Amino acid sequence: MPIKEKGYAHWDGKLKKMKFPWKPITRYGIKLTFKKKFFKFSFFLTLVPALIYLAGIYASEKIEDFSFLTRDTDTLSFLKVDPKYFSSYFTNEFLLFMIVLLMVFCGAGLISDDLKYNSLQLYFSRPIKKKDYFMGKAAVIAFFIFIVTLIPGIMFIIMKLIFSGSFRFLASFPWLFFSVIGYSIFITTFFAFYTLFISSINKNRRYVGIFIFGLYFFSEIIFGIFFGIFKSKYFALLSLKINLQQVGAGFFGQKPAYDIPWILSFFIIIMICILAAIVLKRKIRSVEVVK
Amino acid sequence: MNVENVEVKDLHFNYGKVKALDGVNLKLPGGAIGLLGPNGAGKSTLIKILLGFLTPDKGEGLVLGYDIKKQQSSIRRYVGYMPESDCLIPGMDAVSFTSYLGELSGMPRQEAMKRAHEVLFYVGLEESRYRNLETYSSGMKQRLKLAQAIVHDPKIIFLDEPTSGLDPRGRIEILDLIMDISSKKDIQVLISSHILSDIESVCSYVVILTKGELASQGKISDLKQINYSLYEIKAFENVERFIDGLRNIGCKVEQTTDKLIKVYLPPEKNPQDIISIAVEEKTQIRHFVKSQTSLEDIFAEVVGVD
Repeated sequence: MPIKEKGYAHWDGKLKKMKFPWKPITRYGIKLTFKKKFFKFSFFLTLVPALIYLAGIYASEKIEDFSFLTRDTDTLSFLKVDPKYFSSYFTNEFLLFMIVLLMVFCGAGLISDDLKYNSLQLYFSRPIKKKDYFMGKAAVIAFFIFIVTLIPGIMFIIMKLIFSGSFRFLASFPWLFFSVIGYSIFITTFFAFYTLFISSINKNRRYVGIFIFGLYFFSEIIFGIFFGIFKSKYFALLSLKINLQQVGAGFFGQKPAYDIPWILSFFIIIMICILAAIVLKRKIRSVEVVK
Repeated sequence: MNVENVEVKDLHFNYGKVKALDGVNLKLPGGAIGLLGPNGAGKSTLIKILLGFLTPDKGEGLVLGYDIKKQQSSIRRYVGYMPESDCLIPGMDAVSFTSYLGELSGMPRQEAMKRAHEVLFYVGLEESRYRNLETYSSGMKQRLKLAQAIVHDPKIIFLDEPTSGLDPRGRIEILDLIMDISSKKDIQVLISSHILSDIESVCSYVVILTKGELASQGKISDLKQINYSLYEIKAFENVERFIDGLRNIGCKVEQTTDKLIKVYLPPEKNPQDIISIAVEEKTQIRHFVKSQTSLEDIFAEVVGVD
């Protein structure tokens, strides 16, 4: 007999109070992201720098084998694996560009789709709190950014230890491990707030994607214009990219590209996160849950 | 199951200066209950408060024994909600969608998936359960919304305009499902709808709100018997004066396009008063029948819609 003819049947299980109610939101968010057109290709591209830097770590241990490539041994000095090597990976323009592109694919629709398709009322008619909802969405972003920051960073350290066959590297830079974790969390936190904030201000995922991309590069252009006119290095603080790079240099104990205390950039990014959190809280509260 | 799953006392809620609810007291029994009222009557606000989305300014209440002010999360674990507007998650199929929302309600992952299949079969979406939701018709979306509302086997289901946007056949099918669900003695179904015939066909109990106040509540059969005497009259000559006369003695009078006069007679009056006014106004009565009151008549009388 078909189920519908049998009539309504009870479920014999018991509803549980979930420890991490945001977990299903994250799992389905990641699953849906992989279904998106071009995502897999752009995600692969984002991993390219990690693969190159990993190859660099291998090459650094076999430097004599590559000496035939050049007469001048200094040419291969960029293969020296030290905090500068890590800093150059985490703050390289291509990686940051690809992370922004990833945000367009995986983050643009996270809230805007829920606004467009009225799904918020479905979430909030469940035992889900606003913080669980944001946490679930932010964890989708964190998942992808960690794959291109935290995981490669830790892999670099492990591979360096394996290829060198000693713990000398770790003994020389014991804080590097924490710098990798710290900066990965920092950059993930920024992009999570940045992307979710923009995703919450428009119902159209395409516009949100343009905003995510546009705002990032607009800040760069604004810096270029002001810097060109006034020649003041402090205008670098207007650029999101430069702020991230300055903080990156600070985390890895390197001299920032612009001679400004990196802590200023750190506070600017934190302020942006706080503002985004305030806007997010208000935007989601203002949505009518029941019409 | 408690006889009253939903109980509120002296509920007040304001949107700024606008009073949305003004001292509503309710005790709802089990089964299917219709929530009626014109636009702005406070139905949605009441549902929002019962679901724990809004905290009342004054008053108190319990849903399934949980405090509507303090235990909103617990309330939402055991209630199902079918919103009025279309809502879906793009990119998902019906199985993922339903099991996802089951998981969010607290179901274990495997159980949610199994139950999703069951409820999708139950609502008649078995054939299209792997189709992308964005390709669904209005009727299918309506069924899907019902499926997600019942996936976690809630104890109370709030249905907001469950038949809106459906063709007559789809409407009957959804109402049949709702009737089947509400026939289970331990599930309470609260339906907010503008389509009075839907409420009448599914519910045995109604709550009528108007201007934020409780206008009436009770079993439909009781309301029909106790409060109203409806007469259908066809009159000839001096009809306007006759209608004015009826209104002067406290009757509510409604005239249909085919010149049928519906007279709601107050309990203290009797049919002889209608005849007396006809005699006074020299009006011929050509048709005089005590009508069977429908929910529409009760609604019109209580809310005052002419």
